[in-house]
Amino acid sequence: MISRRTLIGLMGGAAMWPGLVLAQDGAPAPFDNPGDVRIALVRYLSTGDFFQAYLSGVEKQAEALGVELQVFDSRQDAALQADMVDQAIALGVDGIIIQHGLTESMKEAAQRAVDAGIKVVAFDVNVENEAIPQIEQSDRDLARLALEQAIEDNGEEWVAGYVYVPGIAPLDRRNETWVEFKETYPGITEKAAFGTMDNPIANSVANQARSVLSANPDITVMFAPYDEFAKGVKIAVDEAGLSQDVSIYSADISTADIALMREADSSWKATAATNPAVVGEVSVRTLAQYLAGEEVAPQVIVPPTLITQDQLNELEITNMEELGAKLPEFVHADVSVSDWMTLPER
Amino acid sequence: MSRGFDPVEFGIRYGFLLLMAGLIVGFSVAQPAFMSARSAVFIFQSVAITGILALGVTATLVVGGFDLSIGAVATSSMMLAAYAQVIWQLGAIEAVALCLLMGAAVGYINGVLIVKMRVPDLLATLGMMFLLMGLQRIPTEGNSISTGMALPDGSNATGTFSPSFLMLGRHRLDVVIENLLPLSVVFLIAIAVLIWIFLEMTRHGRIMYAIGSNDRAAALAGIDVNGYRILAYVISGTLASFGGILLAARLGRGDVASGNNLLLDAVAAALIGFAVLGAAKPNAFGTAIGALFVGILLQGLTMLNAPYYTQDFIKGAVLVIALVFTFALSGRRGRARH
Repeated sequence: MISRRTLIGLMGGAAMWPGLVLAQDGAPAPFDNPGDVRIALVRYLSTGDFFQAYLSGVEKQAEALGVELQVFDSRQDAALQADMVDQAIALGVDGIIIQHGLTESMKEAAQRAVDAGIKVVAFDVNVENEAIPQIEQSDRDLARLALEQAIEDNGEEWVAGYVYVPGIAPLDRRNETWVEFKETYPGITEKAAFGTMDNPIANSVANQARSVLSANPDITVMFAPYDEFAKGVKIAVDEAGLSQDVSIYSADISTADIALMREADSSWKATAATNPAVVGEVSVRTLAQYLAGEEVAPQVIVPPTLITQDQLNELEITNMEELGAKLPEFVHADVSVSDWMTLPER
Repeated sequence: MSRGFDPVEFGIRYGFLLLMAGLIVGFSVAQPAFMSARSAVFIFQSVAITGILALGVTATLVVGGFDLSIGAVATSSMMLAAYAQVIWQLGAIEAVALCLLMGAAVGYINGVLIVKMRVPDLLATLGMMFLLMGLQRIPTEGNSISTGMALPDGSNATGTFSPSFLMLGRHRLDVVIENLLPLSVVFLIAIAVLIWIFLEMTRHGRIMYAIGSNDRAAALAGIDVNGYRILAYVISGTLASFGGILLAARLGRGDVASGNNLLLDAVAAALIGFAVLGAAKPNAFGTAIGALFVGILLQGLTMLNAPYYTQDFIKGAVLVIALVFTFALSGRRGRARH
């Protein structure tokens, strides 16, 4: 049901592509006068490359549409985030994007915003409200793409190390896929599971991974479905001199990650990623469609892309910009696109 | 204490070292890979950075102060090292000098705030911690620094980490086994020895202990109390910035991080150090052992597949036990002596 709707959305978006140049001419209300439209982004998480890139996507799409954007940053303070929704309501914004947060603390605040007649969309947080569409990067697909590549490279039988910290929603969803995979492929043995969010995360995970590798020298595949984890594992693999023997499969990507994947004999073989900037753009577009009175699917999924070491080397990609230029599916998702919208310049 | 053997006395002096030896034996039995030269060296490497920070904390504890900003100084120094090389395209020596200078300057400002402005130490360094956590992100707008990153003006950073800089965190010396001893471990040991000599063997060190136990008496004895207290913060800041340099060299990029975990681990190591050899006071040898103790625990538990929260739990338990050693047992001994 959801996938069919998304598919229709995708097809619709693709069909409308040539019309984009003329954008905004026949924009529906309230976007016939976009300067008067005010939207708020209420954030729970903001530190780190991913969230920074997400914000830049939101800013660019808001600018392209010509709407006024106000950013509220609660910096992992759940109570403050709820207060900030109330602040946004008091300011009389037209739409709110809730970015991450806790179901318990956001549910009521989100309902208050809906009651105040404000259109709300949520990214990566379930506020249990039918009037609020969910925007998601598909973490299950991310994990699936990376693991399928691991099977393709290493066959169906290997000894694995797994990096995981429970209680973090995207990692929990990636974990579900890993658990299913182990059932589907009984040849995969998980010898060790470890992980920590102590920052700098890469440094702490490197320390753990070193211990794991020396205790379990038969590990050939490390599944580290978060790039900070993968960086840590790679440091440990390099320090242990095992870069020829261990392969790392991961999720997420950044310029620094690309450099690490492209090092000579790098053990980091593939990663699956959704471009956080694209997710930011999709968040704003979904809200815009909602404000314009168009039909919005209850779940808007931004599809991930698999990026392999070979691909990066063949296409000589060295940073995120080139990645976007050479893998166009990474820099733009035809999700939540209406013909009247202006897209950010690339 | 004229009796030949006093078990309480013995327990206080050697209890912690015995516990550590017991842990090593226990882990080796449970996981034979634990007992190898590489594994031992690795434990040192995993605690090198927090150990160096902890030695800085020790210097401030000695004069009765406390430095909450070391974690933030370390991550700021990491960002500065990355910024200097990737964006300003400076060489390794300039980058290292810049970072050390930054650390010393932050330490000096902390000292002046505490000594001259009379801001309580916890508050002054807490303020500095937040200030640095924000400051390190301003130049890059909150992004981590790596080669090829997009700059605010739209271009890409073209500088790279100098290979000799990366060596600081990655190079390994051939000692008995090829590629065995990482440089960071050499630094840790050298700094520990230097701080130990400074605190235990020199007049300056003894003066700092005197200030810590009674600063008014020290001042009446004609000691430049303010000068020494500022010095302690400069040592702490400089060592923290050196820790940040090693972090940058190991990670090969400027990683946005608050450094709070570094702070907590370093403080824990310094406090555990109180209990080593029944010192009941901050001391460099104890701090180094404290850092190692935490490293051994974490390495062993990870090898045994213990999840991270049990590791935090055990780290906390060790700290509590160490503090009991220090305050309750040593206190009783102290009273018995009167």
